[in-house]
Amino acid sequence: MSETLIGKRIPKLDAPDKASGKTRYIHDLEVPGALHAKILRSAQVHARIVSIDTSAAKALAGVHAVITAADVPWQRPIGVAKDHLPLKTDRVRSLRDEVAAVAADSEEIAETALRLIRVQYEPLPVVATPDQALAPGAPLIHPEPHGADSSPHLKSAGAPVAFAGKPDNIAMTFEYAQGDVAKGEAESDFVVEDVFKLHYVTHCCMGISGVIAEFDPNGNLLLYSNTQVPFLHKREFAELLGIDPARIRIIQPPIGGGFGSKLDIYPFEPIVIFLAKITRRPVKMVFTREEEFLASPTRQPVLLKLRSGCRKDGALTFRTVETVHDNGAYTSWGATTPFVMMQTISSLYRVPHCQYLTRAVYTNNPYAGSFRGYGNLQATFAVEAHMDKLAEAVGMDGLAFRLKNAQDPGEVTPQGMHFKSCGFKDCLATAAARSEFLRKQAENRARWKDPNPVKRGVGIASMLHVGGGAKIYPSDGCGTILKIDDFAHVTLMTGASEIGQGSETVLSQLVCEELGLPLSAVTVVNNDTDITPWDVGVHASRTTFIAGNSAIGAAKKAKAKILAAAAAKAGVPENELSLQSGYIVRSGKEKLFELGKFLRGLHFSDRAELVMTTFYYEPPSKHQDKGFKGDVSAAYAWATQVCEIEVDTQTGIVRLLKVTGAHDVGRVLNRLGIEGQIEGGIVMGQGYALTEDLMVEGGVVKNPNFRDYKLVTAPEIPEMDVSFIETLDGEGPQGAKGVGEAPAICIAAAVANAIYNATGTRITALPFTPENVYRALHGAAKAPAWSAAA
Amino acid sequence: MSVLETYRAPQSLDEAAGILREGNVTVLAGGTDVMPQSRIGKLKLQPVLMSLRRVPELRGICEEGGTVRLGALVTISELLESALVRERLNVLWQACDHFASDQIRNAATVGGNLCNASPAGDTLVPLLALDARAVLVSKPNGKLQERRVPLAEFFTGPGRTVRTGAELLAAAEVPLPPRESVGGFYKHGTRPGLDISAIAIAFVARREGKALRDVRVAFGAVAPTPIRAPRAEAALEGRAPDEPALEAAASAALGEIRPISDLRASDWYRRELVRNMLKRVIDHACRM
Repeated sequence: MSETLIGKRIPKLDAPDKASGKTRYIHDLEVPGALHAKILRSAQVHARIVSIDTSAAKALAGVHAVITAADVPWQRPIGVAKDHLPLKTDRVRSLRDEVAAVAADSEEIAETALRLIRVQYEPLPVVATPDQALAPGAPLIHPEPHGADSSPHLKSAGAPVAFAGKPDNIAMTFEYAQGDVAKGEAESDFVVEDVFKLHYVTHCCMGISGVIAEFDPNGNLLLYSNTQVPFLHKREFAELLGIDPARIRIIQPPIGGGFGSKLDIYPFEPIVIFLAKITRRPVKMVFTREEEFLASPTRQPVLLKLRSGCRKDGALTFRTVETVHDNGAYTSWGATTPFVMMQTISSLYRVPHCQYLTRAVYTNNPYAGSFRGYGNLQATFAVEAHMDKLAEAVGMDGLAFRLKNAQDPGEVTPQGMHFKSCGFKDCLATAAARSEFLRKQAENRARWKDPNPVKRGVGIASMLHVGGGAKIYPSDGCGTILKIDDFAHVTLMTGASEIGQGSETVLSQLVCEELGLPLSAVTVVNNDTDITPWDVGVHASRTTFIAGNSAIGAAKKAKAKILAAAAAKAGVPENELSLQSGYIVRSGKEKLFELGKFLRGLHFSDRAELVMTTFYYEPPSKHQDKGFKGDVSAAYAWATQVCEIEVDTQTGIVRLLKVTGAHDVGRVLNRLGIEGQIEGGIVMGQGYALTEDLMVEGGVVKNPNFRDYKLVTAPEIPEMDVSFIETLDGEGPQGAKGVGEAPAICIAAAVANAIYNATGTRITALPFTPENVYRALHGAAKAPAWSAAA
Repeated sequence: MSVLETYRAPQSLDEAAGILREGNVTVLAGGTDVMPQSRIGKLKLQPVLMSLRRVPELRGICEEGGTVRLGALVTISELLESALVRERLNVLWQACDHFASDQIRNAATVGGNLCNASPAGDTLVPLLALDARAVLVSKPNGKLQERRVPLAEFFTGPGRTVRTGAELLAAAEVPLPPRESVGGFYKHGTRPGLDISAIAIAFVARREGKALRDVRVAFGAVAPTPIRAPRAEAALEGRAPDEPALEAAASAALGEIRPISDLRASDWYRRELVRNMLKRVIDHACRM
């Protein structure tokens, strides 16, 4: 038998390039003859644009084009709700808004030209909070009409928001119900209610945003783009330009971090395309770091009211949730995060009765996009706080209370999620045992009155997230083309993008496992829409699961083809043959043919037959119905994390000392890769909980730099103890489930519970920065309140 | 945008002072403040950029006659590596251990930190507590002149000092504290490194039995300049550092600071930190 690659520690294939600085990211790419673009953003948070004078900028030597909305009357709105025109027409709605753009011979000239553009604004009242947006008589963020194109058909019924306007400031609502919450509450012995406030953070990808656009003389568009979703974006760009999607090719250079931020297209991309079209030159734009802070999406800030109940025996009875999401000025994926939040509300634990209403509300703030965890950090923060509170009310320990309500394998939840494999109880038991959670919790609590100002705390939280894709589009599939050449070298062409998560490595591994080849035998091609087969993008922790199954399917077909030919040639039954260590082997030991030699033989024979296969994998998940019920993922991932902290009650500084995690990952494929992903996710969750805070006041981002926006630094990273619970999912590739988002999700919730365990103070607003914690501990914090307007 | 015309790299203090006298000069030492400040437009670069890196008189740490001289070009890393600083000026050494990152410490200089005169400057607070003096050099009429300014009189506001445009900061001089001195430094940032002080505290005193003598307390980031807190010092002078004395010092300090609210902290929180942490810093220093 060949030795298996599954579960081994395999360095990422792109690691040597990245570690040695050889990787060419988008800002390293130079296209001959390219112009450089810069965007003039709004000087006002909310204002009418009275006039724009670009004449002086146009007259500057080295400037090739200066454009405003008036130059692109054919521009179409972008975004999830089609409420966003790339270049603004009659008004600006946030400080990031794009008013004009320049293409010039150099970045410096483009920047100088920006300073020569004169814009007259007439300020409008700033809507700084969802409360203000919902107040009676609040200024409308999207009054009609504001399209650049005055042709009447664009303002007809059913026209996009960008043309038709919106009669109120509500961007999106979600409603979900199961059972009867009134009945649930009537059956409850204990009921708790709290308001939770979740703050702004942003992705902080080390690789800043950028794009290069180039039209060939036939009008075909080539885009070098950092997108996570090349195939769907191809179509969006085509709609925007009014051209055939078939004429767009997207090449993705290595991407310096995505985390969901590249799941949507943003105005700079169409604007660069406009400039390329107008100048007939390739045009490149790369953000500055400050621009990255100001003009990238954020995680959705949420005000969340949660009411939960349970019986004396600890069984949960109901949950009622109402949320207001600060949507910002335009609608991106952030508005749809309630879709994921409700899964946690309804199905992380068994709850018979649930009711859920969310509203995403327009404001003049930065707008929220998708971000690793997709609403789940916010939902888990609230749910896990109540699991602790109810446990205490009942008089059970937090572990026993959770175990009592935790899901089991086979469960179909009222929302329709079917947990075919489920290691939740193992996760709970493992994380609690390895961290000695119960002992430490009791000891810490006994020290509340101790004079030492530095307290210790331990907190537990768990999460449920899709682990087998998410059927939110008509398809949730991924295609693979696999070619094995005359030297048995494999080229794996996959629709799945690499954004740093390690998909190239894990896909190669799965293919090699099928074909009995070493990893060095595979080249992955995954970044060119003219070559790679279709995929719906990197999101929902789906790549290993979906693209992995697709790659395995193609490899199996290739193996069958090779073995059939070998059986014919050797005159032995096909079922006695296998591929091992580069050989075609009979009965598991007798080497019949060296694989490369055999394949060369196929190439040069009279009836030449090349080994090229394709496979398309579509998971057996279902679309949810209009009531958001249905088995949306082919598998579900589970995790429990226990956080140990130290709180200095005289400064409010909270130090995360140790995270003990237990993750149901289905099966470990690349141990080194999954460890990296989980450790990185823990640190991202740590930043959300403790240090990161995009300070937005009156629509102004106050800290658009790494000095004042605090990412976790190396000395703050806690000790980690991560266990893998292998449930061998029946549908997963080699039994694996998706795990990309999972590790970031419960840290904030567990830290909140740990702060309570350390101090007896429950804080329901993030982040736990020193001043916020100090205020809460000393009764000087304003607890989040559910407002009347909301 | 400012336009640089000339880059000068004098090789002696005399030459440097001469160039400075001609005017229109931006002085460059480690560049860790000059470069980012000029990039964001906070500092307008003058036509002449003068690097001090080749001026030997501005280098080195030495002790003579009970005074430690820290050359203006001494880097934070050099302070950290100096046994003299670690053993005899430990409060300064502690501050350097909280200073930015290794890369910045390798470039940033004592002179630059003093002349940048940030209310949150990391070495300023311990140097104030150590009764340091700034040595200013100029060449008004063809001859080098020196004047010495106690650090407590050196800072006049955020980014402002008594140094004139024709003067170069040559060194900081620190009277060597007696061996029985105790000292402590505390910097409050939200992370262990790479942070700007929300508040900073330096404490230095001499132990005479249980009593504290020659008490000096300095604060950073709680007023337009780093400050000494004479009333807090007086509250401790001659007393044992017990709870009533510490409480008295903390109360006195609250009357001496004038914190503002900014991104890093509110004025309320700064006051709370000063009250809580002054007591802790003194208590810890005296237990050592």
